[in-house]
Formats: sequence, structure tokens, C-alpha cells
Amino acid sequence: MLVSWDWLKQYVALDMDREELENRLAMSGLNHEGSEPVGSDIAIDLEVTSNRPDCLGHIGVAREIAVLYNQALTLPSPQPKTSGPDVNTDFSVSITAPELCPRYTARIIRGVTIKDSPMWMQDQLRTVFLPANRDWKPINNVADITNYVLMEAGQPLHAFDLGKLAGGQIIVRAAEQGEKFAAIDHREYELQSEMCVIADGAKSIAIAGVMGGAETEVSEQTVDVLIESADFTAMSIRATSRALNLHSPSSYRFERALDPAGVDWASQRCCELILEHCGGVLDAGMIELGKSTWQAEPIVLRLSQVERILGIKIDAAEVRSILIALGNAASASTTESITVIPPSWRRDLTRECDLLEEIARIHGYEKIPEDVGVPMAASFRSDEDRVAEVIRTTLTATGFDESLTGSVVPLAWTNQFIPWATATPLRTISPMLQGADALRTSLTPSLLEVRRINQSLANPAVELFETAKVYLPQAAGLPVEQKTVGLTSSGDFYHLKGVIESLLDKLKITTPLSVAAAGEEFDGLLDNQQRCALLLGDEILGFLGQVSKPGLKAFSLKTAAMVAELKMALLVDLATLIPQHQNLSAFPAISRDLNIVLQESVRWDQLQATVEQAAGEALEAVGYQETYHAPDQDGANTKRVLLNVKFRRADATMTGEEADAIRDTIVQAIAANHNGKLLGV
Amino acid sequence: MALQDFLDQLDELGTAAATAFGEAVDTEALEAARVTFLGAKKGRLKSVQQQMGSIEREDKPTAGKAFNATKGRIEATFEAAQQRSNSTASDSSANNQFDTSLPGTTFRCGNVHPITQTIEELKDIMGRLGFSIVDGPEIEDDWHNFVALNIPDDHPARDPLENFYLATADAISGDKDPVGLLLRSQTSTVQIRVMEKTAPPIRIISLGRVYRPDTADATHYPMFHQIEGLMIDTDVSMADLKSVLRLFATSYLGDDVTIRFRPSFFPFTEPSVEADYYWNGQWVEFGGAGMVDPNVLKAVGYDPEEVTGFAFGLGVERLCMRRHGVTDIREFYKNDVRFLAQF
Repeated sequence: MLVSWDWLKQYVALDMDREELENRLAMSGLNHEGSEPVGSDIAIDLEVTSNRPDCLGHIGVAREIAVLYNQALTLPSPQPKTSGPDVNTDFSVSITAPELCPRYTARIIRGVTIKDSPMWMQDQLRTVFLPANRDWKPINNVADITNYVLMEAGQPLHAFDLGKLAGGQIIVRAAEQGEKFAAIDHREYELQSEMCVIADGAKSIAIAGVMGGAETEVSEQTVDVLIESADFTAMSIRATSRALNLHSPSSYRFERALDPAGVDWASQRCCELILEHCGGVLDAGMIELGKSTWQAEPIVLRLSQVERILGIKIDAAEVRSILIALGNAASASTTESITVIPPSWRRDLTRECDLLEEIARIHGYEKIPEDVGVPMAASFRSDEDRVAEVIRTTLTATGFDESLTGSVVPLAWTNQFIPWATATPLRTISPMLQGADALRTSLTPSLLEVRRINQSLANPAVELFETAKVYLPQAAGLPVEQKTVGLTSSGDFYHLKGVIESLLDKLKITTPLSVAAAGEEFDGLLDNQQRCALLLGDEILGFLGQVSKPGLKAFSLKTAAMVAELKMALLVDLATLIPQHQNLSAFPAISRDLNIVLQESVRWDQLQATVEQAAGEALEAVGYQETYHAPDQDGANTKRVLLNVKFRRADATMTGEEADAIRDTIVQAIAANHNGKLLGV
Repeated sequence: MALQDFLDQLDELGTAAATAFGEAVDTEALEAARVTFLGAKKGRLKSVQQQMGSIEREDKPTAGKAFNATKGRIEATFEAAQQRSNSTASDSSANNQFDTSLPGTTFRCGNVHPITQTIEELKDIMGRLGFSIVDGPEIEDDWHNFVALNIPDDHPARDPLENFYLATADAISGDKDPVGLLLRSQTSTVQIRVMEKTAPPIRIISLGRVYRPDTADATHYPMFHQIEGLMIDTDVSMADLKSVLRLFATSYLGDDVTIRFRPSFFPFTEPSVEADYYWNGQWVEFGGAGMVDPNVLKAVGYDPEEVTGFAFGLGVERLCMRRHGVTDIREFYKNDVRFLAQF
């Protein structure tokens, strides 16, 4: 809201420093956005919150100043002289859409002289319109006066050229679907049936509360004018101006709850100014349809609540004088409470807490202390938070950067890859970013897109992880929001698997990690061989795999990429956040290397299980070292697996003979279970 | 074959050859690498050369030039590797100087995203002030995102254009009179969920992703992070709010700051204020705050005559941008690894 310094002067004495005033207004609710000179005047830009439409006119702002500086407020009290016949005799108004227009009034002035408005009015209008619209120009005396009263009282008005209204009537109705309308801005709009229009006997002449029509606007030829002052439904005006992308000072104000008393006041004020500056004769009475249903209700303010809510004591006399100065009528008071009836322009005041805010902002928020002793309280850190921190520290230590990517992705991505659920992804009605309207069901596509972006910048070493939710639709009820850790690496399968194993180790997860075949849902995006489901015990932790050639192509990636996703909740469940001390053996370990020839089909996890079972308690660790092939010596479909076993006794140093004996047991078990044999013995 | 694909292949080959020659530990390995890349019959360079045939006629001169350049480069790299290999034996000679100024062997360490760093710092500070961190769903219903927060049906904040409503809402709510599900527009929803389940006193911080349909530009992004605090007890006042915010800002900025309230308007608080802190000679916007509206307390089953409370909220991105001098919010979601490495 732009206000003119000169304009304000007619309602309140502005003998204070302007910058100080701007600051006090900002501190009491009208945020100061800036000031700029316009001619010899100053335009002050004030931000008005949506609960304060009373400050969308100069009078409202002047009232705030008067209250803050304890000054008198001088307001015009319009009493336009009526000397014409009763306005209702040869003109009528009907409302066929009362849900869109609860109230409509009209007055008629005949025989006006259209010319320029007075200079002072042009100057003040220029101050409030020019900074936002550098092409702004005054129009004529009648149109300028309606704009002047709009900016004075905050009540929008419209002046029609009475001579151009067909049939001697106005009908306030819903627009016809697809109806075309030529507005004052000389553009044509296509209307919808939820919109409200003002029509004469022949056709629509204004988009109600938003913009008038070009054909019936007041021009140099105009002799008689009809002044409309009405109330239109806020939601309808908002929808209309949004749908048409047509925002006017009128629509801006009608979108808020305006002063019900302002409708008639503004109409009379407008007529008074027209009679004064344009001449003419005002018809007696007014055409009035509908009544405001708003009724001021008394509000009781208990004085004890001031300290309870604001944290400071304020003298009862001051509390009372603030409320009265703001226009509230005192209806009763006791030693404990004050009862007031709010003014019609403050429809936002309905409850005790609303009055407390008024008292606080006028008394001054700076008087509330910022050093009271807030009692101490224990706070708790969730297991998930602790696990998330281990994830971050471990993954950054292993060379991964944390990324953050959007939750809503192109639908194609969710179709391409559905590791966690098969249900159709959720969609947003409007896309979040261009083409992105599906709630992601996997982090992998987002991470591959980040790889692509980094590839386009020729960035080396793209190692990324993200901890975020995937949204898994359910047959019934709210979707499951599954917190998931996504990883992508330029390394090979075993590199990323090793990173995951390190993470499990740092989380002190003792449940063993195992792998299973990844299902066909991974076809397409992941390589057929280098992929697997990851399990902790019987629970699925996630998956790991190399992106297939078609997968790389789909994301325009030129170099190989590994991806993995892990279910965070399982990590939280199985993490040991408070590890327990174990007694350590005081004796040295002894190790043996085994070079085993096996059938190609024997997997490491099978071999490992055999070793662990055969070795018994003394086994401290079994380590995989290497696989190689020597078909000439060993035959086809064989491999050599080199592994290392480490033994340690709790009660004594293990001898070489003991270690050899355990090794022999292991070798026998491998022979029995896998038909493998030890080499080099 | 497209020219660009051919050039990309050459590029890749050059890099791969340099890596292979560099990694070759002995003469034998180097020879193997030479055969792989420069082998006269089956070398990779040779196979790329064969693809020249499928290049468009007008692109051939460019392709040929690029091929020769790459070939020259790979040969030069090989020669250098060969010389290095021949000289290894003499490296331990007593005449050679040990150069302590050579760069060390570095480890690649990753970086925590700056938004996460900011969130963790805020969580840490608020934890010390007795606030526990709570989490909640991002997909919300009408009740938690609007009704319980005292946002009436006709409020502009409910406009479909101001929110990301879900298209499948009717189908999944399974309700006869379905209410729209949406991506939450604020984290206050979590506060409602906590209050519905917990009796006062309450001292919590809710934070996470929120969604609003803003066109992405330097200062707006349709997804961002919010952190919100809530304290409910028998005698919580605006003085407590101001004091907690001052402690918060002082801890965050590392120096004593002062807090200022300017009146504002939010449906879920009354009175509502904008809180600013004074820092480096100017007032800086901190976030919105206020006393929890009695309607909100009633909505979760609290008695506003028994308890009062305050709430405050701030945008994490804005705080992070100011702290680290980031001028475009979109950088946070682009994840250029060079950007991430700066924090």
C-alpha cells in the first residue's frame, strides 16, 4: 500500500520526523518497504497484512498514526446535497447471484461536466499510483474521484456512464460460461460461470469488483453517472482475478473483509466530491440491495491475561486507552476486565487474544524483555538421528558427498525403476518443476540425474549419497514414507558393497549381511549379473547393482555407475547405539592361508559358512583374499580361492600345531561340503 | 556415427590409456597396456580408427584431426611411462634427493550438504535449550495442514494454486467425502501431531522438507526446509519466546545479539510477530513467531485457560544462504560436486 505524505496530512498532524514515523509504523504492524519522492510529495510503501484491510486506505493509516502519537484524527463526514428526484423512480438494480454479491448500492448524479480533476487530487493520486505504474496518468474528474475515494477509504467504487446503460437497469449475475468481455484496459476476457458480472439490460458491463467495461466508462461525452458501491464475495473475487490474471486495486481490496459501513460512506463521499468538482445534481436516496450480515460482538478482555500472554504488566488505564483510541467502544469494565465492541472496520477483532495483540503492538513489543529465565528441560535425541549421523560421517569418510534432490520427479523415472513397491506412484495435481509431478518411489533416478549434471560439467569423482524419503502408495490409507539411503559410485560392485559393509560395521550391526537374487523389477535399469538384494538376517535391507547399458543411456551417462539403496528403519532397528565392552584375549593370534580349488559354482558365502562352522570358537576372522583361475591344472569350471583364517585362544597362546589341526578340520569340511581341495600342502 | 560420440570416445580412450600406463608397475605390465591400446591389430586405438568409416563425409576432416591428436598423445604418454619404468631402478641411488615438498598422498573425503550442516547446527543449539527433535509425514491431510492450524476454508493459503495437492487423493483416502491430501506446506503439521498425542509440557523442534508452488528462481524453490519450535506449558509468555529466540540467535551467531518483534499475521498464532536479530550493525529477519492461537490449542484438545505456548519458524535455506554467502537457492538442489566441496 502506497500512501502519500501530503494526503495523510489532512487527517492527522504530521509534525513528527518522517523516518521516525516510518519506523514506528513498521514496529506497530505496517512494515515499511521504502519511500520515494514523487514531485514535491513522498510516496511511502507500507506492507499491510491480510487481516488489516482497514489500512488499505489513507484513513486507516492515519488512524494508526493518531493512535501511536496520541493525536486527533480529523475525518470527512460526507453529506452530499440531494436535489434530484428519487433515484428509484426510473432505474432499478437486481441481484440474481446473491452468493457472489451480498450487497449492492447505487447513486445517480445527472448533468456532470467532465474535465480534468483538480491539481491537488491529481498530485496525490500520482504519488500513490506512479511508483507502481510509471505510465500512470490521471483520467478525468469522475474517474479520478472514484480512485481517490478508493485510496482514501479502501472501498472500491465504480462510475458508469448512465447514458450507455441499456434498459434503465443493472443486473448483478453470474457470468455465462465463455462469455466475452471487453474491459477498461481494452483487452478482451473470456469469463466463466463462477464469475460475477454487472450487466445492464443488454449485456455485461463490468467484471464485478475486478474491472469495468470499456463501453460504459465515463468519457468526455458523459452527462449522467451511476456510482456503484458494493460488497462482493472475497473468495469469488480472488478466484476471478486469478483465473483472468487480472489484478486491480479493487480486486485486491475485495479479496479481504472490508468495512461494511464503508459501502455507504464511500458512496456518499464520492458523490460529494463529484458535486463539488464536476457539478451536476444528485438523485434523492439510493438504490440498495442486500444488507451486511456482520454484527459487532462485545469482547471481554481479562486484565490478568495481559501479563499471562505478553509477559509484562501494562497499566489498566493504558490498556483501556489503547483500545478506545483504536476505535473500540467501551461497553463495560470492572477491576478485572474491560469489555469493548470493535469498530466495523476491524472485523479481525473477535477474541480476547486479538485485543491482546492490539495492546502489545501499540504499547510496543520492545518493552517485552528478552532475558527472562526460561526453565531448563531435558531434551532427547532420537535413535534415527544418531544413526543418520553415523551414516553421514561414515559415507563422507569413504569419499561420498551428500546430495539433496527433489521429492517430486518425472513420471518416467518412477516407471523406469520401482525397487520398493509396485503400486502406481502418487501424483501432484500441478507439477513441482517442469515435467515433475510424481512422488518418487526410489532415490536412484534422482542420483543418476545428479551424475548426469556433474558429467556435463566434466566433474571427476562423482560419489554421492542422499538420505531422504521415498513415497510408497498403499492399497488403502496414507502412503508409507520410507526413509532411504541412496548411494551412487563410479567404483565397481565390490567397492560400493565394501562401503555398505563399512557402514554396517560403524553402526555395530551384528546381524550378518547376506545377498539374494534381485528380482525382475530391477531388469532394465540394473545389469543382469552385477546386482543383488541385500538382507540383514531375514529382512530386506535394500539392493545394490551396476547400472545397465540401457540404464546409462536412459540417463545419458557415458561412464559406468553403481547404485544402492538401503532402508533406514532397518539400520536404526539393528544398530547398536550403546556398544558393550567384551573382554579381549591377552594372547596373540595365529593365522593360516588356504588356497582352495573349487567348482566355479560354489559361492563365497557358502565357503565362508563352512569355514566358520568347522573352525569353531578359536576362529577370530576369516578373510577373503583373491580368486583366480587355472583351468589347465585344475580342469574346466574350477576356480582357486585364496583365503586367510585367524585363530586366537582366550586362555593361552595357540601353538602352530593347534592352528594346523584346525586348518585341517576346515579343509576336510570344505572337501566334504564343496568337494574342494587345498593346494600347496 | 555422430561426430560428437566419436570425439567423446577418443577423449575417453586418451584418459584410459594414461591411467593404464601410469598404473603399470613393471615393464611387463606396461607392455600389456601398450598392446591393449596401441596394438597394431586389436588395439583399442585401432578399433576406434575403424569407426571413422561411419562418420559423415563433412565431419571426416575434423574426426581425422582429432584422431591423430589423440594417437600422438597416447604415444607420448607411453614413451614417458617407458622412460619412467627404465629409470625406476636408479631411483634408490644415493645421489637422488628426497623431496619433502612433493604433495602427500591425499584421501578423498566427502562433504555433508550445507543444508544438512545448517539443520544439524540448529538442532544442536535447540537441543541444548531443551527442545527435542520430532519428525512427521510430508504427505498431509486437510486437518493437520489447515483445520487444526486455524486456517479456515476460505483462506487463500488453501488455494490449490498455493499447494501441491495430490491427484490421487480421493482414491487413497477411501473416504466417502474425501478431503484433499497434499504435500505439507509447513512443518507446523508435526506440532499438531505431537500435541494430539502428548500432554503438556511440550518443547519440540519439527523440521524437514516443505512444498509450495513457487517458480524456481534465485531466491525461490518449490521445495525447501523449515525448522519450527513449539513450547507449551502453564505459563509461557511472549517474554519467554523473545528470550529463547535471543539464546538461539546468540548461540548460532556466537556473539550476544538482541531480538526485535514486529507485528505480523499468521492464522496459527495470536499475537503474531516477525522476529529480527541485530547483527553487524543491522536488523536481519529471523523468522515468524507468536503465541499459539487458542483455536489451535483447542483443536488438539488442550485448554487455553490451562496452558499457553509459543511457536516460531524459519526457513533453513535462507539462513544457510546468508551464513555461507550462497546467492542462488537452486545451487542447493543441483548438487554440483564442486559446490558441495565448498562447505
